[in-house]
Amino acid sequence: MAPKRRHLLALLMVLGLVTAAACSSDGGGGISGGYSIGLVTDTGKVDDKSFNQSAWEGAQDGAANIPASATASYIETEESKDYANNIQLFVDDGAKIIVTVGFGLGEATIEAAKANPDVMFIGVDQWQNEALPNLAGLMFPEANAGFMAGALAGMLTETNIVGAVLGTDLVPPVVFFKEGWENGARYTNPGVQTISTYHPGGLDVAFGDPEWGATTARQALDQGADIIFGAGGATGNGALIEVAGEAGALCVGVDTDQWFTVPEAHPCLVTSAMKLIDVGVAELISQAYAGTMQGGNYFGEVGLAPHHDFDSIVTDEMRDTLAEVMAGLADGSINPMPG
Amino acid sequence: MSRSILRTIAIPLAAVVFGLLIGVVLILSQNASPATAYTALVVGGLGDADALLRTLQKATPLIFGGLAVAVAFKAGMFNIGGQGQLLVGAVFAAAVGFGIDGLPMVIHLPAALVAGAIAGAIWGGIAGALKATTGAHEVIVTIMLNFVAGNLTDWLSANPWKDNSGNNIVARTPLVEDSATIPTLGAVPVGFLLAVVVAVACWLVLERTTYGFEVRSVGHNRNAAQYSGIKVGWIMASTMAVAGMLAGLGGAVESLGVDGRFEAGVNVGLGFEGITIALLARANPLGVIPAALLVGLMEAGASRMQFKAGVAPELIDVIQALILFFVAAPIIIRWVLRMREDNSEQLRLGAGWGQS
Repeated sequence: MAPKRRHLLALLMVLGLVTAAACSSDGGGGISGGYSIGLVTDTGKVDDKSFNQSAWEGAQDGAANIPASATASYIETEESKDYANNIQLFVDDGAKIIVTVGFGLGEATIEAAKANPDVMFIGVDQWQNEALPNLAGLMFPEANAGFMAGALAGMLTETNIVGAVLGTDLVPPVVFFKEGWENGARYTNPGVQTISTYHPGGLDVAFGDPEWGATTARQALDQGADIIFGAGGATGNGALIEVAGEAGALCVGVDTDQWFTVPEAHPCLVTSAMKLIDVGVAELISQAYAGTMQGGNYFGEVGLAPHHDFDSIVTDEMRDTLAEVMAGLADGSINPMPG
Repeated sequence: MSRSILRTIAIPLAAVVFGLLIGVVLILSQNASPATAYTALVVGGLGDADALLRTLQKATPLIFGGLAVAVAFKAGMFNIGGQGQLLVGAVFAAAVGFGIDGLPMVIHLPAALVAGAIAGAIWGGIAGALKATTGAHEVIVTIMLNFVAGNLTDWLSANPWKDNSGNNIVARTPLVEDSATIPTLGAVPVGFLLAVVVAVACWLVLERTTYGFEVRSVGHNRNAAQYSGIKVGWIMASTMAVAGMLAGLGGAVESLGVDGRFEAGVNVGLGFEGITIALLARANPLGVIPAALLVGLMEAGASRMQFKAGVAPELIDVIQALILFFVAAPIIIRWVLRMREDNSEQLRLGAGWGQS
């Protein structure tokens, strides 16, 4: 047999083997049948340890809470041009509830909700200007989260100076975090001085500039701040990592428990001002299933992350004060953004 | 004739088959069904009119981006600047598209396309002119210009040309006027037809005109071209300008036909994919069309594949990389298929390096 033939034969055998393997294995086949819940991520992954992951965990919890057997599945968006198509895949498959994660999907979600009045939509971080009956925007009172973190910082600071390194003030939630943080610090420590700096760039760079975050955090440290709030994606993370290198200084994370997302910040991370996206998504799914979901904006819960390595420096007295603050925010007796 | 065509496409074709076969192994390793996955991929890209439209829309900028790299290859230059050229083309086309009101479509749409083409030509031309006059290497210059273009277009869409409607906080321009919007005929976007026409035109110019002969001569041997009286500097500068124009047109079509506006961050990566396409097409302008269609199909179907088979969409990127690997290292394919070395035009990737 000529060598040429032998190679061809070998190739054919491999081909045959692979084809056989391809045909024999079954499985997959989508989510058709039963009560199905779909989730479309922003251009990120469901294991991003942040937004998308929290929402996905919430969708799974929500599915588990539904009495009927419900399944949740997700599509990770590769390109922002695919938002509408990815939502449509779930619509075509008969999904009853569709969760879309992130500000970027806002317009595509509204369009899909208008076109499919029988499907319930949940838009995480999507503010609704006009209420559609089948679309709930899951928003969070960031000012409350910032206030709680600030209240803790006001009690922990020894120099009586607290700093904040923030994404752009173009994004309202960032402003809410900042105002809440400052007011919270003043609430527990009326003499506190605050140094808060917004990133000067546009939306496309403000959350992706860890170098600026680090430099700005350094400036605040040099001016005497000993606890710094980093709120602004990678920019804020840069601030946390810078503070971690300063002995004795503390830092506060944002959105999720950043103990898990920025391990470099372990030497300083005393807590994070969290938005409980998973709880909010699961709650809205239960409501959507029960038929009680209201269109428009729904405000989820916020909270402080565990103190991890710094559990011992947060005294019982401080914990009592924080509990009072939370109760005050909850019943409205404390206004996180007066004026 | 047919034998030589067969031989030309044998390597890319085999590379695609090999890439997909290794993809089968990867799908199996994720405990998914390759049959389900690939079926979903094809249905997602060709299954109905919407799917076909998506494939053609995805293929269109890839054709332009692929041509931008392929044409520069012919002159012995490596254009890494497709991304930057595409971005400036996209933003300037959008600017003409939304900034002028009340023109009829026959004037407005071509004007917007030309604006994108000119912006891209300038962006590519800078690298070409620097190469011709100072010897600055086009690879370095085009990479740098990508960053400049990225920041420039971000700034333009966040400041002077920002969409201030509603509560918009995103860096993006307003929607382009209807008179500057590229229409879609059924499932076929007109931008795709334009891309095909441009690809054929590129082939004709390169293969059937004196200018094209000069470009190829410079690509084969710059010194010999110089001795035979070809103005090498002019050829290099003008070829890079043409390459930039092609990428700029791709960006213009994206703004005017797909997105309806320019938005910062939305077109990231499109220009770089042109390099994949050009290599897969072995720098042949006509080969760019099927190469772009193949990659466009895979990208259009990736969501459905993920949805139906539970396969991570990155698989498509891996398969693309594998295909590219086999095209760039054809010796593996030759060994497996026992093919003889072909004596057709070789794609010399290294041609640009080491010469000044």
